[in-house]
Amino acid sequence: MRAARLSLFGLALLAGAAAHAAPPRAEVMHWWTSGGESAAVRALADAYRAAGGVWVDTAVAGNEQARAVAISRVVGGQPPTAALFNTSKQFLDLIDQGLLGTVDAVALRDGWDRFLPEPILSTIRVRGHYYAAPVSIHMPTWIWYSKAAFSKAGVTKEPATIDELFAALDRLKAAGLIPLAHGGQPWQENILFRAMLANVGGRDLYLEVIRDRDPRAIQSDAFRKVLLTFKRLKSYVDVGAPGRNWNDATALLITGKAGVQIMGDWVKAEFAVARQLPDKDYGCIAGLSPQAPYIVQGDAFVFPKSENRDVVAAQQLLAHVVTAPAAQLAFSKQKGSIPIGAGFDPAMLDPCARKGLAIMADRSRVVGNDENYLIPDQNGALSDILTDYWNRNVPVETVQKNIGAALSR
Amino acid sequence: MRGMLNPRRARAYVALLPMAITACVIYFGTTLWSLRVSFSSSRTFPTDNFVGFAQYARLFTDDRWLLSLTNLAIYGTLVIVVCLVLGFLLAALIDAQTRGEGALRSVFLYPYAMSFVATGLVWQWLLNPTNGIQEGVRGLGFAGFQFDWIVDPDKVIYTVAIAAIWQSCGLVMVIMLAGLRGIDPDIWKAARIDGIPAWRVYVSIVRPMLAHSFATATILLLTAVVKLYDVVVAMTQGGPGTASEVPAKYIMDHLFGRANIALASAGSIVLLLTVGILLAPILYLRRHSARLAAR
Amino acid sequence: MSPRRAARIGLYAFLASAALCFLLPLYVMLVTSFKPLDEIRLGNIFALPDAFTFDAWRAAWSTVCTGVSCEGVRDGFANSLKIAIPSTAFAIAFGAMNGYALAFWRARGANVLFALLMIGAFVPLQVMIYPLVRVTAMLHVFGTLSGIVLVHVIFSMPLMTLLFRNYYAALPVELFNAARVDGAGFLRTFAHVVLPMSPPIIVVAAIMQVTGVWNDYLLGLVFAGRDHLPMTVQLNNLVNTTMGTRLYNVDMAATLLTAFVPLVLYFGSGRWFVRGIAAGALKG
Repeated sequence: MRAARLSLFGLALLAGAAAHAAPPRAEVMHWWTSGGESAAVRALADAYRAAGGVWVDTAVAGNEQARAVAISRVVGGQPPTAALFNTSKQFLDLIDQGLLGTVDAVALRDGWDRFLPEPILSTIRVRGHYYAAPVSIHMPTWIWYSKAAFSKAGVTKEPATIDELFAALDRLKAAGLIPLAHGGQPWQENILFRAMLANVGGRDLYLEVIRDRDPRAIQSDAFRKVLLTFKRLKSYVDVGAPGRNWNDATALLITGKAGVQIMGDWVKAEFAVARQLPDKDYGCIAGLSPQAPYIVQGDAFVFPKSENRDVVAAQQLLAHVVTAPAAQLAFSKQKGSIPIGAGFDPAMLDPCARKGLAIMADRSRVVGNDENYLIPDQNGALSDILTDYWNRNVPVETVQKNIGAALSR
Repeated sequence: MRGMLNPRRARAYVALLPMAITACVIYFGTTLWSLRVSFSSSRTFPTDNFVGFAQYARLFTDDRWLLSLTNLAIYGTLVIVVCLVLGFLLAALIDAQTRGEGALRSVFLYPYAMSFVATGLVWQWLLNPTNGIQEGVRGLGFAGFQFDWIVDPDKVIYTVAIAAIWQSCGLVMVIMLAGLRGIDPDIWKAARIDGIPAWRVYVSIVRPMLAHSFATATILLLTAVVKLYDVVVAMTQGGPGTASEVPAKYIMDHLFGRANIALASAGSIVLLLTVGILLAPILYLRRHSARLAAR
Repeated sequence: MSPRRAARIGLYAFLASAALCFLLPLYVMLVTSFKPLDEIRLGNIFALPDAFTFDAWRAAWSTVCTGVSCEGVRDGFANSLKIAIPSTAFAIAFGAMNGYALAFWRARGANVLFALLMIGAFVPLQVMIYPLVRVTAMLHVFGTLSGIVLVHVIFSMPLMTLLFRNYYAALPVELFNAARVDGAGFLRTFAHVVLPMSPPIIVVAAIMQVTGVWNDYLLGLVFAGRDHLPMTVQLNNLVNTTMGTRLYNVDMAATLLTAFVPLVLYFGSGRWFVRGIAAGALKG
């Protein structure tokens, strides 16, 4: 029923576009340049073509780079039709300067309010208007483990609490394996921190610190415990970790040299390239308690404002196509993300995505990523403090104080 | 005499016009614009929200920025000194012998051609204690060999210096080579007739004649050192933690990722001032000595 | 052994060991580019490939995906040439002209201008992107080939001018004075006296400029417009993915492919490092 309604809407847009005698042409700027990501983008491009549009691809590696180029092109007067951003506060400044167009018609017609998780919706819908079309939903703090390493270390049960996780890590260490595969880069350390905040601190503390930036929460004992647990993880990391790329850490799991990695669901692509399967060669844990918050981060296309009717038509068609179920399924399969929408047949997804989707059905468990709530500057300052704490011997009280100062800006 | 020269000199002014426009409008203008933005609270786009010296205050209470300046001093000195010495040595040696010059020149110059995004990764691998040189030498039998600077927060900046030297040495070498080739070959013949040893000729006669090549190479290296960014991002991402932070990376991170162009502008102004303070006495001395020599 | 002989051997030994150190990263790059990904994952960077394969090179040139298009780095090659050739030519022309005017003709205020220009050499180019975007947009060259060439010339001017100015300042001033006495004007002296003595420094300038332009991708991305994206954009897309898997062997192959043009220039530039140009001119 929904599919029929969607294609009618698509036809309407197409008819509108056809009246101008040129197929809708969209230049799409994004940072998805690796093999798996490229395949995912192609799924979207194919869907757009099937709907009658022309997809012109401009891929720029590096998410910061891609956004910087997109903003430069907007300022220079030659904006792309759509540009990829994270579902975050990154494009607030663009909105304030009046540089972005809205896709209210598509959002209302397709009922985005109904199936988008609240954290994602809150970044897309600003002051009542919809400024971006969400494309992917990822969870950054999955706990992955290598079945081979676990069996070698004698860990028989999948850890279900934080204590069981540390017990497993101890077992791995005793067996001579690398307990926690980690790449020493600030964003990866940030992921470890968020995982501990979510699993040890719980949903309320997470929101109080990250969303509300409540000074009392930041100086509390509970948060102190989170920070100490975060630092405790460092003793399970090998000496070659600094600077290592995230996929090299995954490689340690793949070759059975390490047991656990805490990383987002994009690692599934890495396992797939090495021909390893979920539940058979590796396992995935979403949270260390039945109430553990499920952090969502996402990507979305924004639409630089244009007076040209053809461009606006192309933008509307794009917003409609990329959020449609069929395109989402094809896209998320390659990307490792969770498809946006409702009513998916779980059989079409891999076991880990299925777990994620089931958890997301419980809306109270879904929380946003740090970039959802913090502006880039605050987020960066927090990252600096965390990576400093991870790498040097800083007293935890100082860290708490610094975080309080950074987030109060 | 003066009258005869004037129309020609007018042509010199005309020829310098593009440079004048570029210098004034682009470079000077941009610097002024940066200065203006640094006094504001601009985020992604420049705004007129004046906040005085707040960004500079933030800079100088930020450990990361202060560390980046220290790092700049350390690796900057290393890179400039080693590259000048090594570059001159290599150029002199290549100039002195006739065989395989093309190959040798390419061996030392090829690093300059490589995009650092990939070579930075290779250096990371080479310096990694578990897989790189440390492991390789231990495999050869030297069990206690340690070369894990890249994971040591106190020593990581030296690894950045090594990679930067590897990349820039070749260019210094060819600049010196070009300068050496401009020297009258009769000098060598005369020196040999007089029985002066080769190294003496280099040190006492050739080196002063290469003063301009040295000056060019030094300024070139200084600009590269101040703007060093790719190397750090590709090799260490500023890590471990923030131990190998450099000013250019600090500025860049705040310009794009952190959407804080005001702070980034403040950083680049401070950087410019630092370079200016370093260079000013040297330039003054040079002009002073030139004036003395002219008298 | 005579001290001369010992010195010779010492010289060769030093050159050889320095060469080995410099070549080590290249060895690792080559070896990695010929290995399949499974072997690389094992982590032994010095080992020669067990399963030697050209796949990575083929992929890098023509089939690897960067975004929707899967055509490797081949596409951008022509664009890179279209950008590099005019940029180098104009940059050298301006640099030589500026250097000549500064070194020989004491124009008033020129040194102040030169100092201002040199300030620009110390500013990270990313800081200048926003103002330059506005300026090129005003001149209606944003996103065009002329725009990117203009931007490259602007950024190269400080160092090019420095290079030529210092080189010309080291040349014997008698030549210049002789030409002036003969009645040659500004351009005449430049064309007939100064330029013929410039090949070594032109080679250095070309090396610097071609390498800089060829390896640049940020300026190309922002200013060249979608139709003129250089091959470094594809290279960067290959090597620099944020959260995607990395094909290290293809990365290495692509980097070597991209470095090919500057390397050819380096190797072929030998005959221009001619000895005693200035001296020869004096005698003749």
